[in-house]
Formats: sequence, C-alpha cells, structure tokens
Amino acid sequence: MTAVAMTLDRPAAVPKAEEREILLSVENVSLSFGGVKAIRDVSFDIRKGEIRAIIGPNGAGKTSMLNVINGFYHPQEGTITFKGQRRHRMAPYIAASQGIARTFQNVALFKGMSTLDNIMTGRTLKMRTGILGQAVYWGWSQKEEIRHREVVERIIDFLEIEHIRKTPVGKLPYGLQKRVELGRALAMEPELLLLDEPMAGMNLEEKQDMCRFILDVNDQLGTTIALIEHDMGVVMDLSDRVVVLDHGVKIADGTPDEVQRNQNVIDAYLGVTR
Amino acid sequence: MLYREAGQFKTSYAGDMAIFPIRQDRIGLAILLAFAFVVVPLLAYFEIGPFGHDYIFKAILIPFLILSLAAIGLNILTGYCGQISLGGGAFMAIGAYAAYNFSLRIPELPLLFSILLSGGMAAFVGILFGIPSLRIKGLYLAVATLAAQFFFDWLFLRVPWFTNYTPSGSVNAPELNFFGWVVNTPAERYMLALMFVTVFAVIAKNLTRGNIGRQWMAIRDMDIAAELMGIRPLYAKLSAFAISSFFIGVAGALWAFVHLGSWEPLTFNIERSFQLLFMVIIGGLGSILGCFLGAAFILILPIFLDQVPHAMGVPLSVETVSHLVYIITGALICFLLIVEPHGFARLWAIAKEKLRLWPFPY
Amino acid sequence: MEGLGPFLEVLIGGLLAGVLYSLVALGFVLIYKASGVFNFAQGAMVLLAGLALVRSLDFLVAKGLPFEVAVVGALLFAGAIMAITAWLIERYVLGPLLNQSEMTLFMSTIGATFIIEGAAQMLFGSDVYPLQLYPTDAWIILDEVFPGGILISKLDVWGAVIAGVLVAGLAAFFQWTRTGRALRAVADDHAAAQSVGIPINWIWFVVWLIAGLVAVVAATVWGTKLGVQFSITFLALKALPVLIIGGFTSIPGAIVGGLVIGAGEKLAEIYLGPYIGGGIEYWFAYVLALAVLLVRPQGLFGERIIERI
Repeated sequence: MTAVAMTLDRPAAVPKAEEREILLSVENVSLSFGGVKAIRDVSFDIRKGEIRAIIGPNGAGKTSMLNVINGFYHPQEGTITFKGQRRHRMAPYIAASQGIARTFQNVALFKGMSTLDNIMTGRTLKMRTGILGQAVYWGWSQKEEIRHREVVERIIDFLEIEHIRKTPVGKLPYGLQKRVELGRALAMEPELLLLDEPMAGMNLEEKQDMCRFILDVNDQLGTTIALIEHDMGVVMDLSDRVVVLDHGVKIADGTPDEVQRNQNVIDAYLGVTR
Repeated sequence: MLYREAGQFKTSYAGDMAIFPIRQDRIGLAILLAFAFVVVPLLAYFEIGPFGHDYIFKAILIPFLILSLAAIGLNILTGYCGQISLGGGAFMAIGAYAAYNFSLRIPELPLLFSILLSGGMAAFVGILFGIPSLRIKGLYLAVATLAAQFFFDWLFLRVPWFTNYTPSGSVNAPELNFFGWVVNTPAERYMLALMFVTVFAVIAKNLTRGNIGRQWMAIRDMDIAAELMGIRPLYAKLSAFAISSFFIGVAGALWAFVHLGSWEPLTFNIERSFQLLFMVIIGGLGSILGCFLGAAFILILPIFLDQVPHAMGVPLSVETVSHLVYIITGALICFLLIVEPHGFARLWAIAKEKLRLWPFPY
Repeated sequence: MEGLGPFLEVLIGGLLAGVLYSLVALGFVLIYKASGVFNFAQGAMVLLAGLALVRSLDFLVAKGLPFEVAVVGALLFAGAIMAITAWLIERYVLGPLLNQSEMTLFMSTIGATFIIEGAAQMLFGSDVYPLQLYPTDAWIILDEVFPGGILISKLDVWGAVIAGVLVAGLAAFFQWTRTGRALRAVADDHAAAQSVGIPINWIWFVVWLIAGLVAVVAATVWGTKLGVQFSITFLALKALPVLIIGGFTSIPGAIVGGLVIGAGEKLAEIYLGPYIGGGIEYWFAYVLALAVLLVRPQGLFGERIIERI
C-alpha cells in the first residue's frame, strides 16, 4: 500500500534542502493576548519540500505560531510571506485556498459525520457546482461528486482506513481519528501541511505508522510539512530542519544535529535558569 | 430475512452514493409513494374506508405533509447547520403573507410562482436575520431568531397594508388554480401538498448529502476547524438560513392557502415555532426522515389523547388534553435527549439494524 | 420644560418595570453561572410558583386563617413545591445529561418548560388568579415642579426594593458562604470541582432551589401586577434580551440589562410608536438586544470570548 497511486500534484526533481526556494517565511512576528505575550519577534522560514519541525517546552508558543500561519490568530507585528505574497496577517480562508492545510492538537474532526464525509470536506475548495446544481444531483453535479469521491478513496487507501469509511468519526479510537484528520488535510492537496502534534497520545506502533505516512506524503507528493512534536526521537529522525521556541522566543534554528548541540536548547529543556 | 443487504455489492461510486443505496429501502419507498399518490386518491374517489371521509385529509394528512415540509426547512438550519432557531413561525408567516400579496397584487402571476416567490421572500428575510449568526453563536443567536418572530408577529398585525386593509385582519386565500387545475376538494388539496412535499424532500435530501450539506455539518460540528479547511462560514451559514427559510416560507404559503383557506394574524406565532422545533428534535436532528416522523407524532398526539380515552369511555376535557400534550411532549424531549439524541429517525435506523439480523439477536 | 415631566414619568416607570424583568433574569443568571445551563424553564417556574402561591393562599384564607399567616403558609408551600421541582429536574433531566453540549442542555430545559407548564396548570388550574400582596396604587411626586406631577407605581417600587435586597443577598451568599464558593468552583469546571470532593448533584440542586425561590419572589410581584396566569411564562422570553444585554453570567448585568430594556421599550413606545404604529414594545427589546450583540457579541457585561483550537 503506497501513495504511488495518488494523482495529486507533484513537483519535479527535488533539490537539496539549502538551495530550495522559500515557500513561507515569518518575519518579526509578535502576538499577544491582552498582557500575555505568546510570541515575541520570531522569524524563520520554511523551504519547499522540507519537513520543518517546531519544538519547544509547553507554552512556548508553538501552536500559536501555527495559528498565525494559517490566519486564525492575527499577530500584532510582523509579516508572513507565502508563495511570494507578503501579508501583514493571514486570513483562514485565504490560507486554505492558497494551499495551507493543517491538523490539530486536540483532534478537530466533524464528530457527527462519517470518515468519508470528513475527508470529502477537504475537497470543498475544489468543487464548483452551485446550490441549484446540487439540489438536482444529476449530470454534472453527480459527476463532480464522483470524481472527488475517487480522489478521497485513494487517500483512504493510502492511510489504510478503508474499513472505517462509513463510521461516524466520533466513535473511532484516538489513533484512527488522528489518521482521518490527516486524510482530511491531504484531501485539500496542500502545498504546506501543518501538523500539530500528530503523534500525541499514540502507542509505538501507531507512531511508526504515522511517521511512515508523513514521510510518504513528503516524499511522494512533495508536500512541504511543518510539524510540532514532543517526541524528540521522531523529530530528529523526520525533520530536515528544526526551529526551537521557548517562552515565545526563538532560541535555535538549524539541522537536528545543530539544534541538539545548542546550549540554549539544552538549557531550555533541562530548565537551567539563565 | 426480509431486510438483507448482503449480496448487494456496489461496483461504482455512483451506486454507493445513490439516494437510497439499499434495494429494500428503494422498494419500500416505491410502495409508499404508490400508495400515497395512487391508492389514497382512488380510495377517496370511491369513498372507501377512512379515506372516504374528509376528516382524515383535513385534520391529519394535509397538515402532516405541510408541517413535514416546514420541519425539513428547520432541520436544515438547526439539525444540519447547527443554528438553533425559534423563529420558524415567523418565516411561515412571511411565506403566507407574501403569497397572499403576490397573488392579490399581481393577479396575472401563476399561483405556483406566487408560492415559490413567497419562499424566495422568506429566504431573503432569512438571510437578513442570519447575518448576526456570523458574529454570534448558539443561545445568543436563538435570541436573534426570536427577534424575527416577534417583529413579524407585530408587522402583520399592525401594518394593514399586508392584510389589504381588511378590518379584522383576517384574509382569504385566492382560488387555487394551478395552470388550469382548480384544487378544491380535500383529496385534491392533499395531492397538491403531497407533490410539493415530495419534490422538496428530494431536493433537501440531495442538498444534505452533497457538498453544501457537508459544509453545513462541518460548521455545525466544529466551526473553527471548518473555517481553516477553507469553508467560508458566511456562505455556509447564510445558505443554510436562505434554504431553510425558503422551505419554511413555502410551507407557510401552503399552510395558509391549501390547509387553512383563510387565516388571522398571529396564526403563525411563537407556539408554531416551538412546535416546529419539537418536531425536529423528536424526529431527529439531521435527518430528513425524522422530519416526517416528528411531524406525525406532534400532530397525532393530541388527536390520540382526545379520541382514545373517549372511545374507552373516559373522555378527557379539552384542557386536560392540552395539558397532557404539554407534559408528554416535554417529557419525550427530555427522554430523547438523554437516551437517543438523534430522535425517532435513529430509533428507526436501529430497528432496521435489528431487522437485518432477525431472527438472530446479534 | 413641558415635555420633561412626561418624559421623566415614562423613564422612571420604564426603569422600575425593567427591575421587574431583572427579577426573572436573575434566576437565569444564577443557574447559568453555576451549571452552564441556560434555563429556559425559568418563566415556567415563575408560573408554577405563582400558581402554587395563589391557590394555597386562597385555600388558607378560605379556611379562615388571618391573611398574614396565610401568606406565610402559602410562601412556605410554594417554596416546597419549588424544592421538589428542583430535585426532580436535577435528578431526572440534568443529572443524566451531565457533560452534554450547551445546546442539548438548552433544549432539555425547553422540554422541562413544557412539562412544568402542563403539570402546573393541571395541578393548580388554568384560570387567571388575582393576587394582592403589595399596594398597587401610585404616588404622585414633584407635582409642584411639573403640572400633574409624576406618577410612580408603588408596586414597581416594591419590586425594585425586593430586587435590590435579593441581589445583595445573593452576592453575599456567593462570596462568603462555603456553598457559594463551591458553586463558583462548579461553575468553572465540573470535573475539577468533583475531584476535590464537591458533591456536584447537591450543588446543582441548591442552585435550582435558589432559582426556584427567586421565581417565587418574582411571582409575588408579577402575580400582583398581572394576576397569576399562563401569560406569565412569556416573561422568560422577555428576560432573554435582558440577559443578552447584561451577559449570561453577570448578576449586576441582569439588573442593568433590565433597566436598559425597561426604559428603552417604554420610551420607544411613547416617542417612536406613533410614527411606525403602536405596540412596538412587543419586539423593541429584541431588536435592541440584537443591536447590542452586533457591537459586542458577548453582551455588555459578558466575559470576552477567546476562541482556541
């Protein structure tokens, strides 16, 4: 079972990480809620085709960072440049339509809908039939629905969740819910995929599966991935580059090896007071 | 052994995505439709059995069909899109008065168009009152829909233009002439309502299983995630408000023209709104079938409480019946919310599940 | 100067009427604060309390008891009925629905509303029963300043005084008693409160009981004003805009909201009504609330909603 069968957009030959072009860059972003500063003057970039990890202790501002990137939070300062377009703030709809998809720390699936319908919602932006057409559900609109169903079925195959196709997701165990959520994000055919703790609360086996899916997506579809993860083993194995946040400040940025040796990072994780 | 889907393999996605994928469902529905469209009118024509009397059409079937249609409309908004509405009655009123004024002021307009336009008018108002839903949620929104209810109660009571300056405020429906077919007898009125309801139920079913239906449900289940998936809350919510109000508006026009014939202001008051909401909750939030079940229950309960004790020799007073209806309806709502939040429709699904395994327990 | 007298009269009348709305809204706020349940049944509870009160009062007076004694007896009886109602609701409706969504809980209280309305009328009758617990005549003040003076209904003043005492009492109860602290803890987080040993069912019963007693107080005032009758349940609907303006969780908000709505709708009726047709009192409160919501989605006193994911 591989993703070879998927017919999603795929870039040509993939160059080395350092010389790839920048897909998204965050410059001098600061975000605060009332008096609480969640992110302070953080800048980093994500290059096309890489797996970029964002790590840091709890409360470091990692999820807030993802929320800024896809426009759910609006930073007070700084700019976000995605695909060459520079914005002061992102809007959720623009982020989604430009090709940013994400999964959530606490699974945010549509609980009352089946696995299939959940993943189909990821195709919303690609569907064109108007309400009148859908009311008739005949001809063009039915064909469109079937065409997207085919794409979704390929994703279902890829994630090995055929058996739960018609199960309401509220009834699924946590590990499978995380997988469905990944499927929903993949259905958007994103250029940039944001994964917020994709392996939280999973056992070893499930983690291995999830790692495999992430690598396959990156490898075979060429999707750029930014992920937040607490399992350092996973982060060091998967990612091309790592950015480390602590108390909303960027304290390190580089390859996994560089970051591991960085004194600031060691201090932050061991809780040394500076 | 009757209800088996084993062996019915789908070889195409079209087959799997059909409106009723299971053969027995299709056969059952075909029988039901044949009965409703052919057998009932024949029985009425030859005056056989209960269908020989006007009572069953006037008191049960016609109101059942029209209220089912209104319940479908409300279910689209509340059950599918998750926006609770206490203003269903107001949108029925808008439909009724719009249809009245269209047919009064533009007599050359065919009646069918008057009715559809009245739905459009309700949809327009629905969008207006749906706009607050973009900023406010849940219970706060329920108050916005209440505002609609009370405002339109007042409007049709106090602004005489809408009732064509009749002194009592009571108005009469025009002759029901559909392209030459004059609808008169209760059986004919029943056929008319049946046609409307069938067409609209199919439309509702199609919408709710398609892309727009998924958008509504996504907004209902987790609106923030939906927005980050590229679903625009503006479009999803306002389309739900518009389509829901359209359905309810058409139901209101039919209620006034086909069921009542003449009606007073405050026919469509807050009681009606609650009644619609109860149909949807009892029948099943997020189910088209549930709308029919809920409408049937709410309509039949008072008749049952009136007639059955009467037949058993212990007639209840009108007041007792109405109090009992309150208590039973309320208790059933609490019971269903606790035991089976998806209402009768879900119970029906469970029954089918059991039937599939019958005679084995599991 | 000519317009000022009538204006003041309308304003004061409106403000005082608003306090009466606040009395009903208070019951909502209490339950919402402590359990996150938006209790649509509050209006029905006022009806139930009123019917229990007026029927037992009539009964006791007919038995030949002195009026004062009969009133005390009737109040005790109504209180007992509200306690039973609170227990039943906690035990059979909200208990089983613990941890359900806000919407489900809301709909379950609509169900409870209908049960209470049906049962109350079945038990105590469904006519209009007059109640006379407060003076209903009026004072005329400032008649040397304005021609004709300003008319102030004594009943409304009584209502205002009672509401003030009630709010002060409740605030003290929430702030300083052990049960009050437990209530606030439960309101913040059910599970956490349970884990430190707060008996959540008992707390909920207490909350509903208090809301029931507030309903008894509201029923004495409204019953005197309108007579005890079914239309009292519509007070619940009138209290909604009050809550919207004041916010669901704020006791002072309920008071201010009531004042704004009361004064707003009376002034609108007098000064706006003639131009667009009478009877706009019927919907003005809702539209006012809607306008407030569009500016501040959480109401005037509500806590700011921070969305997280």
